[in-house]
Amino acid sequence: MLRLTRVLLILVLAGLVLAGCVAPQPAAPAAPAPAEQPAAEEAQAPAAPEEIVIGAIYPLSGALAATGVDLKNAVELATDIINNEYDLNLPLAKSAGLPNLGGAKIKLVFGDHEADPEKGAAEAERLITTENVTALVGSYNSAVTATASQVAEREGVPFLNPESTSPTLTERGFQWFFRTTPYDKLFAENFFEFLDEMKAKGYDVSGVAILNENTLWGTDVATLENEFAQQYGYEVVANIPYEAKASDVSSEVQKLKAAGEDVALLQASYVSDAILYMQTYKQLDYAPTAIIAMDAGFVASEFVQTLGDDANYILSREVWALDLAESKPIIKAVNDMYKERYGTNMNGNSARAFTGMLTLADAINRAGSTDPAAIQQALLETDIPADQIIMPWKGIKFDPETHQNVLGSGIIVQIQDGEYKTVWPFDLASAEIVWPFPKWSER
Amino acid sequence: MSPELVLFLQTLVSGILIGFVFSLLSVGLTLIFGVMDIVNFAHGEHLMLAMYATFWMWTLWGIDPLFSLPVVALLLFILGVITYRLLIRYVLDAPMLAQIFVTFGLMVFLRNLAQVLWSEDYRRIGDTLLSGRIELFGIFIGRPQLFASLGAVITTGLLYFFLKRTRTGWALEATAEDKEVAGLMGINTERMFALAWGLGLASVGVAGALLATFNPIFPEVGTVFVLVTFVAVALGGFGSVPGAFIAGIIIGIVQVLGGFLWEPRFKTVLIYAIYLGVVFIRPQGLLGRR
Amino acid sequence: MQRIRWQLLVLVLVVLLLLAFPFYVAQPFLQRTMILVVMWSVLGLAWNILGGYAGQVSFGHAIFFGLGAYTSTYLFTEWGISPWLGMFVGAGVAVLVSIVIGWPSFRLVGHYFAIATIAAGEIFAVIFRNWKAVGGAVGIYLPIIRGDRLIDYQFQEFKAGYYYIILAMLALIVLVTYRLERTRMGYYLKAIREDSEAARSLGINITRYKLYAMMISAAFTAIVGTFYAQFVLYISPNTVFALAISIQMALVAILGGTGTLLGPIIGAAVLIPMAEYTRVYLAGRAGGLHLVVYGLLIMLISVYQPAGLMGIYREWQHKRAARGMVNDSLPVATAEGGADDAVA
Repeated sequence: MLRLTRVLLILVLAGLVLAGCVAPQPAAPAAPAPAEQPAAEEAQAPAAPEEIVIGAIYPLSGALAATGVDLKNAVELATDIINNEYDLNLPLAKSAGLPNLGGAKIKLVFGDHEADPEKGAAEAERLITTENVTALVGSYNSAVTATASQVAEREGVPFLNPESTSPTLTERGFQWFFRTTPYDKLFAENFFEFLDEMKAKGYDVSGVAILNENTLWGTDVATLENEFAQQYGYEVVANIPYEAKASDVSSEVQKLKAAGEDVALLQASYVSDAILYMQTYKQLDYAPTAIIAMDAGFVASEFVQTLGDDANYILSREVWALDLAESKPIIKAVNDMYKERYGTNMNGNSARAFTGMLTLADAINRAGSTDPAAIQQALLETDIPADQIIMPWKGIKFDPETHQNVLGSGIIVQIQDGEYKTVWPFDLASAEIVWPFPKWSER
Repeated sequence: MSPELVLFLQTLVSGILIGFVFSLLSVGLTLIFGVMDIVNFAHGEHLMLAMYATFWMWTLWGIDPLFSLPVVALLLFILGVITYRLLIRYVLDAPMLAQIFVTFGLMVFLRNLAQVLWSEDYRRIGDTLLSGRIELFGIFIGRPQLFASLGAVITTGLLYFFLKRTRTGWALEATAEDKEVAGLMGINTERMFALAWGLGLASVGVAGALLATFNPIFPEVGTVFVLVTFVAVALGGFGSVPGAFIAGIIIGIVQVLGGFLWEPRFKTVLIYAIYLGVVFIRPQGLLGRR
Repeated sequence: MQRIRWQLLVLVLVVLLLLAFPFYVAQPFLQRTMILVVMWSVLGLAWNILGGYAGQVSFGHAIFFGLGAYTSTYLFTEWGISPWLGMFVGAGVAVLVSIVIGWPSFRLVGHYFAIATIAAGEIFAVIFRNWKAVGGAVGIYLPIIRGDRLIDYQFQEFKAGYYYIILAMLALIVLVTYRLERTRMGYYLKAIREDSEAARSLGINITRYKLYAMMISAAFTAIVGTFYAQFVLYISPNTVFALAISIQMALVAILGGTGTLLGPIIGAAVLIPMAEYTRVYLAGRAGGLHLVVYGLLIMLISVYQPAGLMGIYREWQHKRAARGMVNDSLPVATAEGGADDAVA
């Protein structure tokens, strides 16, 4: 028996030595796939491929499946608009396929990450190496986007992120990572710009209370809000992080009450906790001057559905709202197509995923090939004007260093009679803001 | 009363109210454990099913939760018996690991089945006969929570009465004490086990129906409550119905009051720490037997 | 004697096949899946030392996994200490924590112990979510280091580097488990698992041996935690201190068969590819349907064969032995020895 142990040990050592010897050589026989692939594609390039494969990594099952399906629908609609002729003022809509690549069509391959960062990386790797995708879009959850884009960075494949808002993502100095959506830093600053503009109108708040769920996203948001509160000169009367999976939130609400109600509450919550908080506010009669939410739970379709009238007068930052169609008709045209196919209106998530997909296709078209470096270059040269997107942004243009879209901007909506109305910036507003948040007994 | 006192009392009341809900949830779990030494890891999912049952009866036929409550309890009772007959029966004498494994599989199965059938959407029951709130000396008490507390007390009381005062209850306790001896005494232990599962799940059914009146309903709702329930059952002493009841209330108060006085984000830590503290001193829990 | 030589041959063949794996399977996704299989085998085996041999069911092993990941990553990103060194520091930290948790917890039996480990695991998750110095809820990103040098513990082009590292860990824990089964401590642990009162009356210091098992288990789990951090290059409390990790560790061991050497490896070899491929092929088409099937399978296995897949194998071996096909090996076909000899 002892002999077996020894043999096993020797074999293990042999394995380690082998790993040590082979590892430093980049062209190890174990990695032929990445080495051969670009060559094969270059050979095809003159003939222009008939299909361009793009991978989309989203949470298609698990707790975020509902959102994942919205996102999937949106990129599918965008792909259809690219591949077929539509009379819309959007990039690539009027032509069938990508004209600079001989009318090549885009083919989508989906990956499901189940909101798990490790699975996101695995899917990125699979799509790149076995599906030979030209580029990737995704992945909604910031933590998953972090790991999936890391794989893309390593493999040298463009990764376009339409909807993750964690600030750290574009601070990593990645070469292949591009983000179209404005991110939390901008949104957090928006809150204080908004409060300042309200002050100029004569509506003053003495300070802010910060309430945030306690994972990556909520923590990032709270840190930024604290920084901007200091910068803009607002007192932070309470700073309450909480665990998102809460069965009861009365202690949090009591703490808020104790801190005083003459403040604007800045809240970052997911769906179930957002609903729970609203019910607890009502029950314990907590009504601050304003509740300003960092989207997420407060703009999920279930929020208004489940709370009904109790959802009214909540303010939330948004990236998109259906009533923007009043000043931008293209939004209505696209939303109608979306609604016809999938039965629901678009929302901030699907609108952003849609826009991200179009931006990526536009860059591939301008690159005129599937060569990653050419696409990277084309992405850097992206300049889509405001009237060709369905977002309230000033356009799409990436920062040469961070690859963050510098023309993005946010809006603030208010729920009025169960509908999200744009109330800020004031020049885009479709409704007058209700201020302050009415007392529960008076509504 | 001074505002500080009101705030404090309000917090205490909120804690007691949610504590009753924890109690009700824990009682069913501890009953099953007490009779056959099996921890039902799918407990949270049974709660979820009960909440959905209440929701659908309200949405489809407009039955108020107050009236659908007995129906939900009955449905869950049947589900409990079926679960026992189809699954649990086969692992009674298996090692503890296999028992954990089977209810764990049931948990994964039910949670994802709910997701496939009813989607991930959050749902809520609108205004019911139980909606609204009561104000008492400036302290607010939600009527749904109040009814849930009442339900908890009544259900636990009935269960306790059943166990201590009826022949079937004695038989159940005897089976819990020693399966072989109970069998020799002419008790149909197989039937007793099925009954324990039925009763355990029926009380979860009551909890689900009441909870559905004020908590959002979604496939993963079980995960929100299940850990606290486990801790309550262990804290009270596995198998002890009064123990679970008291532990639930303690946990509710500690969680809400502790969160208010200290940092809310550490309120769950507080519960777990108290649990660890108690069992390190008293390994069998508050009212458990060794 | 002949049987041993035959087994040796099989063993050498298996080891050679494992060593050569990256050379005949070049596809990165398959390589990645293989790395995960080996990783979960190690984790399952680590869990098995405490849960299988000593019979202490833990649902808190994510504590050690997370500590391993965080210690090496923190040391590396803050002070530039090599993850190779950090890996052992992490193991040390995990061992210390395992003593702190284990010492009082071992007074608890059965379910009380299991729930206590869940509670401890949740406490750690909350602490790390709120601990600003180690990144709080945001977690820590590891910098990408190119060049694929073994010393960096990172492989960007040459995936097989990760594979060999985790394979070496597997070999190590197989060796440790194999030795453990044959030492006094292994027998003590089994005695404690089967009947702790009887074991105590035999003069075995129960707490001490359970603690030894937990320390070994924690050390290996922490080492794999470091590996995970280097492999995924991003860690956060929600991923490395997740209850899901603790549960999956137990699952691979239970599925394969606890208290056996091969069980956790078989469990991981079945469970991980199943999860990966159902996800890939059902992605977006059926929502959580693959998890419904997964849950159903778990139930079926535990009802049909509570001893896990190894139990099925043993039954088959019993039948074969009964039919007289392996007439010289009746002793090894007993429940105790069957599994060990399958690999030996």
